[in-house]
Amino acid sequence: MNIKSELKKSWIIMIKEFKQIFRKKALMIPLFAFPLIMIIFFGYGMGGTVKNVDILVVNDDTGTASSSLVQEIGSFIPKYGDVKMFSITYTKDMGQSEAERKIDAGLYKAVLIIPQDYSERVAKNESVTLTLLTDSSDTTSSGIIINFMKQLFAGTAGSLVSLKIPDIYGKLEYLDFLTPAVIALTVFFGTVQSTGYAIAGERQDGTIVRIMMTPVSRGAVILGKTLHQLILQLARAVILILGATVILGVTMNGSWLLVALVLIIFTFGAVGLGIAMSAISEDMTSFQQLSLLFTLPSMFATGVFYPLSSVPDWMRWIAYTMPLTFANNAMRTIMVKGQGLAFIANDLIILIFFAIFYFGLGVYLFRREV
Amino acid sequence: MEPIIEVRNLTKIFLSRRAKVTAVDDISFDVNRGEIFGMIGPNGAGKSTTFAMMSTLIKPTSGSIKVSGFDVEKEGDRIRPIIGIVPQQYSLYSDLTARENLELMGNLYDVPKKVMKERIEYYLKLVNLEAQADRFTGRFSGGMKQRLSVVSAVIHDPAIIFWDEPTTGLDPQTRQAIWKLARKFNTEGKTLIFTTHYMEEADKLCDRVAIMNVGKLVALDTPQNLKRASNSASLEDVFIHLTGEEIRD
Ligand SMILES: Nc1ncnc2c1ncn2[C@@H]1O[C@H](COP(=O)(O)OP(=O)(O)O)[C@@H](O)[C@H]1O
Ligand SMILES: [Mg+2]
Repeated sequence: MNIKSELKKSWIIMIKEFKQIFRKKALMIPLFAFPLIMIIFFGYGMGGTVKNVDILVVNDDTGTASSSLVQEIGSFIPKYGDVKMFSITYTKDMGQSEAERKIDAGLYKAVLIIPQDYSERVAKNESVTLTLLTDSSDTTSSGIIINFMKQLFAGTAGSLVSLKIPDIYGKLEYLDFLTPAVIALTVFFGTVQSTGYAIAGERQDGTIVRIMMTPVSRGAVILGKTLHQLILQLARAVILILGATVILGVTMNGSWLLVALVLIIFTFGAVGLGIAMSAISEDMTSFQQLSLLFTLPSMFATGVFYPLSSVPDWMRWIAYTMPLTFANNAMRTIMVKGQGLAFIANDLIILIFFAIFYFGLGVYLFRREV
Repeated sequence: MEPIIEVRNLTKIFLSRRAKVTAVDDISFDVNRGEIFGMIGPNGAGKSTTFAMMSTLIKPTSGSIKVSGFDVEKEGDRIRPIIGIVPQQYSLYSDLTARENLELMGNLYDVPKKVMKERIEYYLKLVNLEAQADRFTGRFSGGMKQRLSVVSAVIHDPAIIFWDEPTTGLDPQTRQAIWKLARKFNTEGKTLIFTTHYMEEADKLCDRVAIMNVGKLVALDTPQNLKRASNSASLEDVFIHLTGEEIRD
C-alpha cells in the first residue's frame, strides 16, 4: 500500500471524525467553556506558601552586615512551618541580566543582588539599595518572597535599606501562572477522553469492525484520528489563549509556534494513551473509569494550580512521573517567560519520549482483531 | 464445482480471564463459487467466530482458510477488497446519515467517485431508503438499519458476501426484502454465506446448509438431502435431531 493512498485513507477517517464531533452540539460547551470557567474560578480563588525555595544571593560585599543579612535569610523558618523557607546559593560578580537568565532557566526562584558597598553604607548610616529579582512566572512563590524581603528590610536595617524589584516578565498575577497549565491540562484530558471514548464506542457498536474490513491499514486509521485531534486541540488552544488574554487579560509573552510545537508533541502522546486505554477496556463505561483513573491524578499532582517548588519532595517525584508536569512547565516558560526553544528543550525531550512510548503502545494495542 | 472458500481443520480457542473456550473445533468444508451457503446452529455454536476467521477479522488458533485462493493469515490484504461483511450488530455510525455511511465505506474501498454516486442512489432505492438518505441512522428502526447495513457491505461490489444473522429480530417484510436481495446478489454471480436462526429461511434460500453445534460441524448438505437423510419433513426437525433439544444461550 503506497503512502498516497494511506494518507488519503487517513484523510477520510479524519473528515469522518470531524463530522461526528461537530454534530455533538452538547460537547461544544465542555470543549471550550469549561477550561475558561476553570481558569476564572481557580484563578481568583487560590493562594499558597513556599518551602525550600532556591534563591541565589549575589554578594559583592565582604563586610559583616551583608553576611549577617544573608544568614538571617538563610535560617528563616516560617511561623507555621518546620522547614527553612529558602535554600541559598552564593555567588558574586554577576550582573542583573545574567541573573535574569538564571531565573529564565528555572534554576532559581529569586536572585538577591547585594551591592559591593552595602556593609560600608550601613555602617555609615547611608541609604543603600538592593535588587531583588523574582521568577514572577510563578506568581505564588514570587509574591511570598517579595513580602518576606520587604518585611525583613523594614524590620532590621531600618528604613535606609531599600529594595528594588524589577518586573522581569511584566506585571503578573496568579492567572498568568495558571492559564498555560490549564491549556495543557485541557488538551491532555480532551485528547485522551475523546480519542479513547470514540474508539470504545466504535468497538461497542461494531463500526470499527466494518472499518477494519475495508482495505485500510491500522496506521491509516490511527493517523486519521491523530490528525483530527491535532487540528481540534490546536484550534482549541488558540481559542482558549485568545479568550484568556482578551477576556481576562492573561499574559501571552511567547511564540505561538512554540506553543503549537509543545501541544503537537503532547497531543501525540495523549492520542496514544487514549487508544491504548480504549484497547484494554471492554466498553465505553470501563474506558471512562480507566481514563479517569489515569487523568484525574495529573490534574492535582502536576502543579497546575500551585508551583511544584512549594510541595514536599515525595509529591514532586510523583509529579515527575506525569507528562503533564513537563507540558505545564514548557507552556509556562513560553507563555509567561517568553523564552525560546533552548529553555524548553528538557521538557520537550521528555514529552517526545512520552509521545513515542504511548503512541507506539497505542498502535501496538490497536489491533485489527476487534 | 469450484470452491471459493476452503476451510481445513479450523480451530479457534479463546483464552479469556479464567476459562478456555473452544469456539470452533476442528472443522473443514468448502464453499462453492456462486452458491448461497447457510450456516445454522444454536447460540454459541461458533458461527460468528467462523465468520470472523473467514473474513480475516480474527486469526485461527490452528487450521487454515483460503478465500479465493488467498490465505487468510498471510494475504488478508488481498482478501478484504473482494469480500463484504454484514456483522451481527448493525454497526452503522449513528451520527452520520445513511448516505454518509455508504460514502464512508465507498471511500475506504476506493470506489471511484462517479461509480459510487450511482451505486449509492441505486442501492438506496433498492432497499427503499431514498427518502431517508439524509437522516442520521441513529433514529432508524431496526429494519431500516439492517437494510442499510446490508448494502453498506456491497458498495465495493465484492465477490463474496458474509451476512451474520441478517434477519434476526426483524419484521416479515424486512426479512422478505433481505431474501430478495440475497437472490439478487446471487444471480449477479456473488457467493453468499449467511447464518440464521430461521430454518425455513435456510431451507428456501440455501443451495447448501452447514449445521454447527458446540464448535463442531455436524452436517453439511443440500436442504433436501439433509431432510431425506434424517427422514424429516422440515429442516427444523433435522436441526433438533442433530443438535439436541436442550436450550442454550
Ligand atoms: N472474543 C471472545 N472471547 C471469548 N469467547 C468468545 C469470544 N467470541 C466468542 N466467544 C465464545 O465462543 C463461542 C462461540 O461464539 P459465537 O461464534 O459467537 O457463536 P454463534 O455466532 O454461533 O452464536 C461462545 O461460547 C462464545 O461465548
Ligand atoms: Mg453469532
